[in-house]
Amino acid sequence: MKVNQPDIRVGVDVGGTFTDFACVLPDGRRLVFKIASTPGDPSLAVIAGLQELVTTHAVSAASISVFAHGTTVATNAVLERKGAVVGLLATEGFRDVLEIGRQMRRQMYSVRLATETPVFLAPGRRRVGVAERIGPDGAVLRPLDEASVIRAVEQLLAEGATSLAVALLFSFANPTHERRIRAIVAERWPELPVSLSSDIDPVFREYERTVVTAFDAYIKPTVDAYLANLAEALVGEAVNAPLRVMQSRGGLAGAAIARRRPVRLFLSGPAAGVIGGLAEGEANGYRNLITVDIGGTSCDIALVNDAKPLVRQEGMIDGFTVRVPMVDVNAIGSGGGSIAWIDRAGGLKVGPHSAGSAPGPACYGRGGVEATVTDASVVLGLIDPGYFAGGSLALDGEKAHAAIAERIAGPLALSVEAAALGIHRVLTAQMAEGIRLVSIKQGFDPRDFTLLGLGGGGALHACALAEELSMTRVLVPRYPGVLSAAGLLAAPVEHEVSASFARPISGLPPADVSAALAMLDIEAAALMSAEHLSTDSIKIQHAADICYVGQGYHLEVPLDLVGPDPLGTLYRDFLVLHDRIYGHSVEGETRIVNLRTVHQGPIDTRPAALQVEAGDPVKGIRPVLVGEGAVALQAPVLDRARMVAAHEFDGPAIIEQDDTTTWVAPGWHGRVLDTLMLLLEKTGDADRDGNRDAG
Amino acid sequence: MMPHHNDLPDPITVEVVRNKLEGIANEMQSTLFRSSFSPIVKEGLDASASLFTLEGETLAQAIAIPIHLATLIPVVRAILDEFPAATMVDGDVYIMNDPYLGGTHLPDIALVMPIFHDGRPMAFSAAMTHHQDVGGMSPGSVPTNATEIYQEGIRIPPLKFMDRGVVNDTLIKMLRLNVRMPDSFTGDLNAQIAACEIGRRRLGELAARHGGATLTGIFADLLARSERMTREAIRAIPDGRYGYHDFLDNDGIDLDTPIRIEVMVTITDDTVHVDFTGTDRQVRGPFNCMPSGSHAAAYFAVHAMTDPDIPTNGGCFRPISLHLPEGSLVNPREPAPVNARTSTIKRISGCIVGALGQAVPERAPADAASEMLLLAFGGTRPDSSRYVIGELIASGSGASDGMDGVDVIETDGTNCMNLPVEALEMDAPIRVHQTELRSGSGGQGAFRGGLGLVREYEILSGEVVFTHRGERHAYPARGRLGGGAGAQARSVIRRVDGTEQVINSKTVERLGPGDRVLVETAGGGGYGDPEAREPQANAADRANRKTAST
Repeated sequence: MKVNQPDIRVGVDVGGTFTDFACVLPDGRRLVFKIASTPGDPSLAVIAGLQELVTTHAVSAASISVFAHGTTVATNAVLERKGAVVGLLATEGFRDVLEIGRQMRRQMYSVRLATETPVFLAPGRRRVGVAERIGPDGAVLRPLDEASVIRAVEQLLAEGATSLAVALLFSFANPTHERRIRAIVAERWPELPVSLSSDIDPVFREYERTVVTAFDAYIKPTVDAYLANLAEALVGEAVNAPLRVMQSRGGLAGAAIARRRPVRLFLSGPAAGVIGGLAEGEANGYRNLITVDIGGTSCDIALVNDAKPLVRQEGMIDGFTVRVPMVDVNAIGSGGGSIAWIDRAGGLKVGPHSAGSAPGPACYGRGGVEATVTDASVVLGLIDPGYFAGGSLALDGEKAHAAIAERIAGPLALSVEAAALGIHRVLTAQMAEGIRLVSIKQGFDPRDFTLLGLGGGGALHACALAEELSMTRVLVPRYPGVLSAAGLLAAPVEHEVSASFARPISGLPPADVSAALAMLDIEAAALMSAEHLSTDSIKIQHAADICYVGQGYHLEVPLDLVGPDPLGTLYRDFLVLHDRIYGHSVEGETRIVNLRTVHQGPIDTRPAALQVEAGDPVKGIRPVLVGEGAVALQAPVLDRARMVAAHEFDGPAIIEQDDTTTWVAPGWHGRVLDTLMLLLEKTGDADRDGNRDAG
Repeated sequence: MMPHHNDLPDPITVEVVRNKLEGIANEMQSTLFRSSFSPIVKEGLDASASLFTLEGETLAQAIAIPIHLATLIPVVRAILDEFPAATMVDGDVYIMNDPYLGGTHLPDIALVMPIFHDGRPMAFSAAMTHHQDVGGMSPGSVPTNATEIYQEGIRIPPLKFMDRGVVNDTLIKMLRLNVRMPDSFTGDLNAQIAACEIGRRRLGELAARHGGATLTGIFADLLARSERMTREAIRAIPDGRYGYHDFLDNDGIDLDTPIRIEVMVTITDDTVHVDFTGTDRQVRGPFNCMPSGSHAAAYFAVHAMTDPDIPTNGGCFRPISLHLPEGSLVNPREPAPVNARTSTIKRISGCIVGALGQAVPERAPADAASEMLLLAFGGTRPDSSRYVIGELIASGSGASDGMDGVDVIETDGTNCMNLPVEALEMDAPIRVHQTELRSGSGGQGAFRGGLGLVREYEILSGEVVFTHRGERHAYPARGRLGGGAGAQARSVIRRVDGTEQVINSKTVERLGPGDRVLVETAGGGGYGDPEAREPQANAADRANRKTAST
């Protein structure tokens, strides 16, 4: 019998190897499964998974009320250089801004330099100036010469341009010239897509604004075609729910709206993972989290402070800094596939090179000969070669052993066990330093946080990382490997609009700020109204980017216009934030740089009803090598699927499930929470009382 | 492959500790950046943190600009000379900045903190910050017209900043009275202390875990490892003597006198020796460079030309020696001014890269323009408030085997951002009319040099004091293996009355409303015979306006 209530929520996250599905049924039950991705046309896997839902899991497509999608189409168009041929229109005299950039280099010790700016988006022959000039206050210093626009576009079309980016000086202060250019193009070349910098990112600093606008133009036709095609296919499958996609800020947007600013879809996968982790943590009362997502090639680290993800105003795409608001996810190059090697002075190194999934670690038996972190896990007994990825991939323990013997143990004159342990110790030291740096750069002490182990490898290394960082609590969600898909279901619909507003705070009439924000709210409300959400469910948050006068960097401070002295509060909040992040603050002249509004739809917080299988959770017992001396401990092996709420146990223990293995080290105590989340706490003298940080 | 001996610490613990030491240096530096007040630290990243062995060798360091490479070594040595380690007590902190005793230039103040374990010093943590002002004849303490060090600010010999945890109030009062912004000055010193404290706490934790003796054994092993790797990389460079020379335009005082920098790099087996004989005598202006700066340049060049992935510590520096003739530009006698030595360090790096490039031409680019043009506009807004706008503008990098040079990019010792036009115009009554690549400025070659920048300013109101400090106006960046030189830099003032004046690379001028300044920075050198350049590359250059379309 098919489930027919129109309240089935589906999250689909497309990854490089798998497309993950998370589906919540009306009774709260959750379905989670994976389909092999179809990189040629990612929508094929999406539709295939949908059909599996309908046929295998008896879900009626018409009953789907939410269809949330995380897509890599935008990112891949850049990585594979498959975007449009972009023509860039700039103010006359400034057509090279895109190529000049900020003149810094990332390769500090290189003398053979390569370009650091995304010139590939629009090389010199596809950058043309138009006669016009707007001043810093928005005044027109030189009117737009429309004939020069037509000449410029003709020149760009002759160079093969299929998409236009327009980035004029001070267009954030006065967008009329950019808008007139769009009108001129629409009249003569209606099929030619146009991205205006005053729409995409109306904020000062011409290089950053030009880059984000050019990226937008570059991916627009690709994203447009993909989303249109998928939306149509969903209709074909009888899905009535609107297609929504994840934005890099961590909120959803209707596909039709997302298509207007496709650049906001960059790196939405990691953002969804953080939202998923945040939701899991909050559901269990933990609001301060460090999420550590360990995959095959990298480890993604993010901080959740008071149940909110940290959002930064720019991120990295393929090595280029792009000013798109993004959930702050920091990647370090260590993962399960990281290769262990020995440098010329006999030092043991782990990563950053990875065996990836092909050939993969030696134990995959696909021809890999390098010793990887996963091979070490097999040698140490942490991973059961017969039960990897739920038994779907049989690992070859002998190959793991042989690779470590040949590549590491032999040259270092160590036993294979000691070498395997060494690989883990070096990896832990590296990751722990990465996590520490991410936290302290934000002014946080990792000891005040709970570590959330995600991805295939997070739960395996979580205890070791926590000990290294003096953290005393670890959480492992029930399904840590598909958290991006779950995060899609936990994310609100959200639209953000910001604009430059360069005014000193002291003496600023609050009415001026209200008026400017009201303009932004009108824009954001227009976007939200296209989402068809009830208006009373929408939360509005205002914020201002603020700096001391003379400072070149700013901080985002929440702004509440309702209070008695909103700007006084804003100023004091800035001082507090400055103190947290920079270690000091002084009374002084401050100014607003940008204003921002975020309109957010409701968040579905209904807890998932998860099933526990009947039976004894203890599957067996096996030796695991631990400690600097690689001592063998007998560790019980537990089946996660059979662990009921309130089940308690002590380390050492191994917990196996299809998508990960959790290692509970000696000295750690485990408990299954009501939500089936696993809580691990350090026992002994250190912080045993470990109060929850939730209020 | 090195065999593993039983008397050495186990290789895994060594690598774990190495990761920790780098992490500690990074955490120290992050704290320094986070907590400093000085805009030069926040935006120019002009601060660094290091851990040192008791012998004064670098154990780990976190730097954001290469001119800081190893510059703390002579500082730590000077402090050890004055205060032997055996006399140090837990809670002591030492301070100094004097260039003639081992420092760099006066704004760079170093703090050094001994780290104790089991009652004995085990290592040092140190932090150096470019302070916004240390007194002297001009605000900011980098006067381009200084002719002796006394004009550049207050000199601090090795002194105790803290004695058993108690701050030296006498010294603080003395220093505060001699600087223009005493609060931010002490704030930055506190940030340095906070950074050193991180080193002390975390190294202490490491010692508690591994034992002090094991840990110092690992320190020695880490230095030996980097030394071995560096020597191995140097051994791969053919033995021989490789000479190179280049010029700075002038010293800002004697405007018609170029300054010659000459190096003879000798590779013997696994060592590098750099002899500066032939370099000009010290100059009157502030372009003199203390030995610490020449060392930083040499370490940068060797590191970049061998293997940048070798973990950077004192071991990397052991195979490198320098001969710095006394009384020369690179080892001046008191009281020569030194504040503008960055230009000199950049040119020295270029010379050593140029010399090594004769030994390994496939690894060395043609000369980078390496011009970091400094402009400052000081004036009054229509509302009669005052402003000072500083700009740092890069030039073209040198082409190399298989790669064209990069246009307008920071090279060698420095790494600063430029100023957005929109930021400049919102802050000051100045209009920018042009910011474009300087077509045709890259040196010709099979691979073309990087282009310089063209930027044009117009003063809108008030009288402006305009400071211009450039290079490569007189001497271009040379090509390599038949490649042509990059275009020289050129700057012109166009007065509102129609007169034009080509200006010297270092000058201070007065400008009025309607006056315009056009600056064109230098191009990088080309690599290989221009005739060998692929025809498509030439066509692409014309289409992309890299060269003039004739």
